[in-house]
Amino acid sequence: MTDVTYKEANRRYRRMFLPVMAVYVVACFAGPLALKAMGDPPDWVMAGIAVFTALPIAAVFWLKGRWLLETDEYTRARQVEAMLVGGGVTVCFAIIWGFLELFELVPNLWTFLIGPIYFASYGLAYLVGKLRGGRVVS
Amino acid sequence: MNNRLKELRAAHGWSQGALADELGVSRQSVNAIETGRYDPSLPLAFRIARLFGVAIEDVFDDGEGERAAAE
Repeated sequence: MTDVTYKEANRRYRRMFLPVMAVYVVACFAGPLALKAMGDPPDWVMAGIAVFTALPIAAVFWLKGRWLLETDEYTRARQVEAMLVGGGVTVCFAIIWGFLELFELVPNLWTFLIGPIYFASYGLAYLVGKLRGGRVVS
Repeated sequence: MNNRLKELRAAHGWSQGALADELGVSRQSVNAIETGRYDPSLPLAFRIARLFGVAIEDVFDDGEGERAAAE
């Protein structure tokens, strides 16, 4: 899709991924500390800090999207398959859990867990694909 | 789709990694194409053929050419 080679696409992804994650880790600690220091901040300040803290995660998805466009077609196909499986598993899990919660059969799920569930199922789907010789769903 | 990629690569003395570098793709891509687990897109198939200086039909064969000739 672009003239960037597979290796250059990987380099460009890695070059940005670590700084973005470093910002996320710092923001995770700095946000609550800043709110504590402010005492009783208005809601819009708390909302702003919450959104700002999560922005690096949005940046990771942007980076992943750029990498998908730049990497080679075989890698892209395998990754998209794994992402589809990961997204499907996560959404199905969330909806099933939602109904179980509605019927008061399970406790409320911490929303933060959705991220790790997605990345774990995406990673597992990619691993299964590798073990199956490159095929995830087909 | 059958292909002669492994044979052409061997004739040039290239490893899968070296061929992948020439094409700007991953070594896994070359392996998947060689073992018939992945059929490349038309642009990549042309790049492969041009790299070896042969026609695209000399690298990839969908079996239809021989069938059409027989008919």
